[in-house]
Amino acid sequence: MITKRQLGLILLAMGIFGVIAIFAVDWLGAGDFQGIGPAQRIALLAAAVVALLGLTLLPLGDRPA
Amino acid sequence: MIVSPPSNKWETAVSYLPRILISIALLAFVGYLIVYAIYAVNLFRFPFDYDQGEGFELMDTVLFSEGEWPYRDNDHYPFYSSNYPPLFHVVTVPLVWLFGPQYWTGRLVSWLGTLVTAVAIAWGVQRQSKRKRWWLSALAGLAFLASNYIYHVGPLFRQHLFMVMFETLAVVYLTATVDREERDGRYHPKQLLIVMLLLLAAGYTKQLAYATVAAVFLFLFLRQTKRAILWAIPFAAVTGLIFWWINISTDNWWLVNTVTANLNPFIKEQAIGLFKQWFKLHTVITTIAILFAVYQFYFERLSAYSVWFVLAMLNSITAGKWGAGESYFATAIAASCILTGLALNRALDWAEQKGWKWETAVLTLIALLWLVQAGKVFHMPTHTPTLAAIAQALGQPSEVAIAPQTSCSAPRDPEPVYYVDSAGVSLLGRPPSAADTAAGIAIADKILEGETAAFSEDAGFNFYVGRDIVTNPTQLLNLYQNNAVDLTDMLTMLDEQSFDTIILRAQFYPPPVLDMIGQRYATTDLIEMNGFVYCVMRPVKSSR
Repeated sequence: MITKRQLGLILLAMGIFGVIAIFAVDWLGAGDFQGIGPAQRIALLAAAVVALLGLTLLPLGDRPA
Repeated sequence: MIVSPPSNKWETAVSYLPRILISIALLAFVGYLIVYAIYAVNLFRFPFDYDQGEGFELMDTVLFSEGEWPYRDNDHYPFYSSNYPPLFHVVTVPLVWLFGPQYWTGRLVSWLGTLVTAVAIAWGVQRQSKRKRWWLSALAGLAFLASNYIYHVGPLFRQHLFMVMFETLAVVYLTATVDREERDGRYHPKQLLIVMLLLLAAGYTKQLAYATVAAVFLFLFLRQTKRAILWAIPFAAVTGLIFWWINISTDNWWLVNTVTANLNPFIKEQAIGLFKQWFKLHTVITTIAILFAVYQFYFERLSAYSVWFVLAMLNSITAGKWGAGESYFATAIAASCILTGLALNRALDWAEQKGWKWETAVLTLIALLWLVQAGKVFHMPTHTPTLAAIAQALGQPSEVAIAPQTSCSAPRDPEPVYYVDSAGVSLLGRPPSAADTAAGIAIADKILEGETAAFSEDAGFNFYVGRDIVTNPTQLLNLYQNNAVDLTDMLTMLDEQSFDTIILRAQFYPPPVLDMIGQRYATTDLIEMNGFVYCVMRPVKSSR
């Protein structure tokens, strides 16, 4: 069984990984735009929201998710 | 409905208010069910394509009924293939064996599937309701059928809502299974196996079910982490084995037609427009579902329904793909109906403990919320005097004016359409008329003037006259956009004017095909059916 804190950590990790992956698109030279493109902006926002949701779950401790 | 007894006449009188309002809400949603049945019966009687692509699903069913796969080589005559998984068509096969290639067969199966979904939604709410409020469960189920999107697509020969039926059954049965396991303190693997089979059925009805598969395994991961992984492995293996078996049985055409051909461009404006429309039409049930999911996220355990709703809502972004549309919200609508029923049940349980005043207030509010939702999804055919009178009595127009859609003639003036829909101008939802059937027969008769099958964007006309079904235009376009089709044979046949008749509705064919048609054929007749102008074309005399 996953707890609220564990779910929070999973979401936080997913959000951070998502942000890194979105920037990696530029570092690897993929994508149609120079800099942050419109799709990347939306994906960045989504990743940030996921990470933020994860953060808010951390104080809820060992209650079942 | 249970209302704790009021203590005086005034309180007794007030306590009747919610009962009256709930009765009106039930009446409204039963009215939508009647309207849905009227539309469905009218469609069952209509022997041609109502929505583009229906005829190709019928063709898939015909091929299955003859023991053949519809996943084929598009490079050669009759240039036909399908991009949909097989289950919906296979289920419809017995009806085609019995009654022949009739449009009503698949339309009936799809429509019955939506009724099963509504019952599953109602049962999902009812089984978790402490006080067994039948009216609330019924409203949750009926709200699904009352959605404009479900109404539009439910009675069509399309597999999408059959997938939603399997998805809903899977998640409702998963919830019942896990509840029972937690109550009994032991696993019930046979029940979970049924859930897996329902998920498999959903996926092999339409690929879009992957979001529900993800939701089920995510929920299991939260509740029974190790078990989720243990079940995911054989599930993935069986899914993969079936995929591999179909692929080798079709010489790789399954992969080409169901995967490669589905990599379509994403249209951001289409996705945003549909999201706005979905929320505007389903504001009440969507808002309650979101609030209840957030409540569960922070204050109690997440239910399978909340996980399903969130993933289904996110997956609805795929409605922005070329060729996708409103039906991509159907799974999110089903999930929101269940969550709304559960949340309102919870609110009533709480209010009952607070005494009759709270109970009456909350019941009244709930009834009003359902009435607001009923108003938001307003849709009604007005092709009979009775229906027109009801629409007018409800303050709605009895007709709207819509210009026929045309891709090959001068724009036409708006014409009265006897169908009113809060979703806006819609060519889906209006029951086809006798004039539409006559127009379809007139187009089919044009094929009989020649010797060959028509090169047609709709399959219905060739079906009607018993000739080959040639091409699946949207599939060809999908493949063309992914460089997965060789048009040489087709262009040669068009160049040689091998087809006596060309029938276009929306010019969905790949550009080189349309170019060749434009060079070698000329429009001879324009016939309007279902709000579309069909262009009938004949070979032009060769100058070579």
